[in-house]
Amino acid sequence: MKDYVAPPWVRVRQEEFGLLFYDTRDTKLTFVRSGFSLAAPSFSGQERRLGVRCEGEGRERAVGRLLEKLEAKGLVVAVEPE
Amino acid sequence: MKAPVNVTWEITERCNLQCRHCLSADLRARGSGELDYRQCLAVIDELAAMEVFQVNFGGGEPFLRHDFLNILRYAQGKGITTCVSTNGTLVTDSLVEELLAMEGLYLQVSLDGAHPETNDAIRGLGTFARIVAGIEKLSDHRFPDFSLNMVVTRVNFDEIAAFRQLALRYGVKTRLSRFRPSGGGCSMWEDYRLTKAQLTELSHFLGDHTEILTGDSFFALAPESRRALGLQMCGAAKMTMAIAPDGGVYPCAFLCDPAFLAGDATRESIASIFRDSPVFERLRELEVESCHACDRFSVCHGGCPAVAYFLTDSLGLPDPECLRAAAALEEVR
Repeated sequence: MKDYVAPPWVRVRQEEFGLLFYDTRDTKLTFVRSGFSLAAPSFSGQERRLGVRCEGEGRERAVGRLLEKLEAKGLVVAVEPE
Repeated sequence: MKAPVNVTWEITERCNLQCRHCLSADLRARGSGELDYRQCLAVIDELAAMEVFQVNFGGGEPFLRHDFLNILRYAQGKGITTCVSTNGTLVTDSLVEELLAMEGLYLQVSLDGAHPETNDAIRGLGTFARIVAGIEKLSDHRFPDFSLNMVVTRVNFDEIAAFRQLALRYGVKTRLSRFRPSGGGCSMWEDYRLTKAQLTELSHFLGDHTEILTGDSFFALAPESRRALGLQMCGAAKMTMAIAPDGGVYPCAFLCDPAFLAGDATRESIASIFRDSPVFERLRELEVESCHACDRFSVCHGGCPAVAYFLTDSLGLPDPECLRAAAALEEVR
């Protein structure tokens, strides 16, 4: 699976339901019911990489599809894995 | 939600203008002072720990604070997106250069008409020229993220289209804000509030120009075409909250009234105020039951409680500027 980072114009934080994305360009919120499968990058730090925690091939595929949808919305950007 | 999405922070009560509809006029009249630099940094530390996405700095005029640029840089360094609402009169070339060096900064310049006589009747004689001079400096330096904001009143209503054209001329976004009977707006309400015909016309205009920003404030009027543009509901105490110059915490910038004082950011944890304050709890539990049967309920959820409160003394009544609710409110009165 690719790695994904939040671009500079996007803020992300962990909520009970999953991740909350905030696009600063239009102040739109995106609620992502990802549970604990995705982890928000550090709020204040330089590291913008999202954490991915999923067990099982089926779950990994589902999370991969979710990340592709977020990428299409400009909320995450795919990068080479570390 | 564990924290607000954005916080409006009236960081100073001082201002070099005396706009007739000033939201902060009451705060200024109370003269409670403002937080010092060290206290401001402590507030930012706490907002960053809560993971508040954006702080909207207003006032008063924020650029009157000599330490304001450092406050902005500190917030940005903590990962917080910053937006400054300014009257534009203090914008100089050197200030723009400092602002251009910042990341995560949006500016909103207030101008209340497309023509000098209209704006000056609200914001003071000669202010149109001074504000436009500031706008031109931002535009000349190609400041990337700023908008022109007009509070829509009966006085400037006929200039909305011209105001949009003015913003287009500078290559910036138009923002239309709702005039509310809060602060100085209370005493100007009868003179400035829109007529029913104007409210209807505004609704159509916003529907035709979905690129216009509104801060989600016209949801009681929002046409179907704007449904996807925002949450279309009051975010007070849920998505947003406000901090007054003296550190008082309120559910929303339009409810900075003693009745809604939820805590003191200099003495209490802001996170605790947000989570546990009875004032916030009251706003979160608020339901405008009389609106439930309305087929537009999902578009506005009863509208703006601040407008309802200041006009009816009740939080639980429909937004008085909702055209459908107006008749029902007449009966209540």
